[in-house]
Amino acid sequence: MKKRLSLMLVTLMAFGSILAACGGGEEAASTDTTTPTETATDTTTPDETATEETGTDSESAIGFTEATDVATNNDVALARTDSAIIGTVAPQGVFNPLFHQTSYDYYVDYLVFPSLTKVKTDGTYENDLADDIKISDDNKTYTFHIRDDANYSDGTPVTASDYLFALKIYLDSSYDGQADPLSWNIVGGKEYNEGTATDISGVKVIDDKTVEVTVSDYDAMTQVNLGGVTPLSEAYYGKDYKQGDVSSIKAFNGKPMGAGPYKVTKYTAGQEVDFEANEGYYDGAPKIPKLIYKVTTDTTNLAMLQAGETDLDNITVNEDNVEELKATGFLDVDILKNNGYGYVAMNNNNPLFSDVKVRQALTYGLNRAEVVEAAYGPYAEVINIPQSDVSWAYTDENIDPYDYDVEKAKSLLDEAGWVEGADGIREKDGKKFEVNFSATADNPVVDALIPIMTENYEQLGIKLVVETLDFNAIMEKKDKGDYDMFFAAWGLTPDPDSTVYITDGAQNNSGYSNPEVDALYAKGKKELDINERKKIYAEAYQKINADAPEILMYQRTNMLAINGRLDGWDISPYKDFPLSLHQVEIAE
Amino acid sequence: MSQYIIRRLLQMIPTLIGISIIVFAISQMVPGDYITASQNPNMTAERADQLRALYGLDLPPVQQYFIWAKNMLVGNLGDSFQHKMPVTEVINTYVWNSFVIAFATLILSWVIAAFVGVFSAQFQYSFFDKVVTLLVFLLMSLPSFFIGLLAIKYFALDTKLLPTGGMTTAGLNASGFEYLKDVGLHMIMPVAVMTTLSVGGLTRYFRTGMLEVIRQDYIRTARAKGLKERTVIFKHAFRNALLPAITLLGFELPGLFGGAMILERVFNWPGIGQIYLASLNLRDYPLMLGFTMFLAVLTLLGNLISDILYGVADPRIRLK
Repeated sequence: MKKRLSLMLVTLMAFGSILAACGGGEEAASTDTTTPTETATDTTTPDETATEETGTDSESAIGFTEATDVATNNDVALARTDSAIIGTVAPQGVFNPLFHQTSYDYYVDYLVFPSLTKVKTDGTYENDLADDIKISDDNKTYTFHIRDDANYSDGTPVTASDYLFALKIYLDSSYDGQADPLSWNIVGGKEYNEGTATDISGVKVIDDKTVEVTVSDYDAMTQVNLGGVTPLSEAYYGKDYKQGDVSSIKAFNGKPMGAGPYKVTKYTAGQEVDFEANEGYYDGAPKIPKLIYKVTTDTTNLAMLQAGETDLDNITVNEDNVEELKATGFLDVDILKNNGYGYVAMNNNNPLFSDVKVRQALTYGLNRAEVVEAAYGPYAEVINIPQSDVSWAYTDENIDPYDYDVEKAKSLLDEAGWVEGADGIREKDGKKFEVNFSATADNPVVDALIPIMTENYEQLGIKLVVETLDFNAIMEKKDKGDYDMFFAAWGLTPDPDSTVYITDGAQNNSGYSNPEVDALYAKGKKELDINERKKIYAEAYQKINADAPEILMYQRTNMLAINGRLDGWDISPYKDFPLSLHQVEIAE
Repeated sequence: MSQYIIRRLLQMIPTLIGISIIVFAISQMVPGDYITASQNPNMTAERADQLRALYGLDLPPVQQYFIWAKNMLVGNLGDSFQHKMPVTEVINTYVWNSFVIAFATLILSWVIAAFVGVFSAQFQYSFFDKVVTLLVFLLMSLPSFFIGLLAIKYFALDTKLLPTGGMTTAGLNASGFEYLKDVGLHMIMPVAVMTTLSVGGLTRYFRTGMLEVIRQDYIRTARAKGLKERTVIFKHAFRNALLPAITLLGFELPGLFGGAMILERVFNWPGIGQIYLASLNLRDYPLMLGFTMFLAVLTLLGNLISDILYGVADPRIRLK
């Protein structure tokens, strides 16, 4: 009976996860969208970053756990002596780094299309296809030299004009990928986009392997954006391309061809992607000759790892799963900080929240630790600044942790002029403190948050009214400024530059405005020295922390489970697993 | 007859126009569009505007409707935003996977339901009938994901008799018979579960149809003239009892291509149902609208086919 009951529970829980996944997966959507430009900055790595990272790794439940007993490995997995099977959510078949949109297409493109520079584990950047990058003194001219030994998988060399070709696709008026190439300020880019020029005047092909790009204005992202461009073989992709119509390029999405460590041999939509090692890869032929991305679902991906049917997969982080994975003995478990954070937005333009004391009170008065524990157990942490603690820009100096403190919250509300009325609800100028919370359905955080928040705020004399809406409906209310509070999550890029907290920024959901923060973000974007930038962003985060424009909630984690027979990974929250796949080998 | 078909086909045109207006209007009323739904943290307002202009999302809804309708007339359903390829190609990629299991399910569930329905009508209120009725209601009320997951647990994870999901074994570069065998093995669970779910309702239809026929005078006559019971049931009664089922058969047509959203997810089957659901969530309107219209056309065609078949099968309502 007991066994049957637990089976029922497992099944029901699994159903819950299906529904959650079906129900739009707002958070998934927000974290899955990765753009080709999502990469870091400078090539220098300060030592502090490294120590900081190991500091977080040794902490609590989060981090890497090596397989304890590889000898127990499953025969099914061991039988694959020349191949590895990676479990993944279905990619959409957009295998072109200029156009792809989901992380899962990205996983494929990582292996096929190297760019001039690539991200390192700490979120900074190093050379990849380029072996030399020269930047002029005014930071406006960038000269890239492509490795002499870089060839496409069809044997033809990667040339500077292929880089120019890729830029032309980016700047084409019909380009509908996620990147914003006009913002890179390449000289002549706008003219090409508008069709008034047939060439990009700011891009000069100096010789076969050297290209020089001039920008009209620079910032810290310029090098990242230009280095993140993947040269596309003009001979392969460009046969039918005409300015103003990139559809002939997109026609190759299912048949990618690049200079990366692997080449796609077969793609079956919704089922699998097969790869073969590119023997001519400039960084040395990959050690695993054959690779398969197999589409799995969250109901069975754990069982498939246990059975040896897959060698690597993303598994939902929770205590049961972690325990089960570790119990196998032959699986490495890597729990990585997610590049993103959850927050409760408050409408700063609403008279209810325009007073900073009220916003602080609402943060102090909410037991965030309890919410996060209820939603994610030990696998998420409360955050107080809008930055990942593995980022080089992270700081905890002079940051108020806003520990749960009812008394402090009450006195702040008193100071702000909200006094308790006859019915226990606070009032100011005859108006009751009543907050409308727009909640999404089927979200684990919202489910944990609402009961705790209702109770906590009741103690403060604030009434919380909850309405359940579709996520897009909430976003529309947000755009109109017609809301009090909602819960959402942001994805983070390795670079701290963002528009979430600057006045009228494109992503500024809360209507927060602080001229000092605006100035700091502008300064941080223009500064190229990473140590200077650290100071600037630390200051900006301290100001945001004091202003409490929104209630920052948590940074959660993702979990990778990897069969212990595969060694040589170099994985971090910034460096996804495909980036080190070429150096991974099958242990004997 | 051909005149009737032509008339019916012509009547479909205003219906389709009506459907297209309603579907499009609903899509316009739903908050959010593809650009907001994809939640790109790096999307600037300028880029969002550029993309909207590129996709034509910045035009007034009425103009958008006419552009869409005009393109549809020439067979162009537009490009899917998320798949970055023509909608027709997306549908073509996934719909056949759905069709394969839907078709197998259709055949199996109809055959089983016909036999079970006939027997439980023949022996109405017998022990067999009662057990069948109980089972039928039990199966009808089971949620699909639930038996889906149970089946995976028992047949794939515990006993390892069947694959956990998907359509083919990863890395198996088989072709011909080997490939069919592999797909067949992967089909067993989804088809069995879908059959289990649909057979219940169908059995009731057949049972009711059969019960009605069995009480007719001509059945009594047939028995009275000493025909064997089997001949009475299968030759005289069954064929007449099948008549109402023709209507049902017409309704099955869109179902064959519509995909099963929940079960495709559970069994990781690369069908159109999941893709359709994702297009709703991501506000990928060309794909969502295109596929909805595709299903609408199939529904209307299904109706027409069942009307025609009715005429063929039943001389009483045959058209002159």
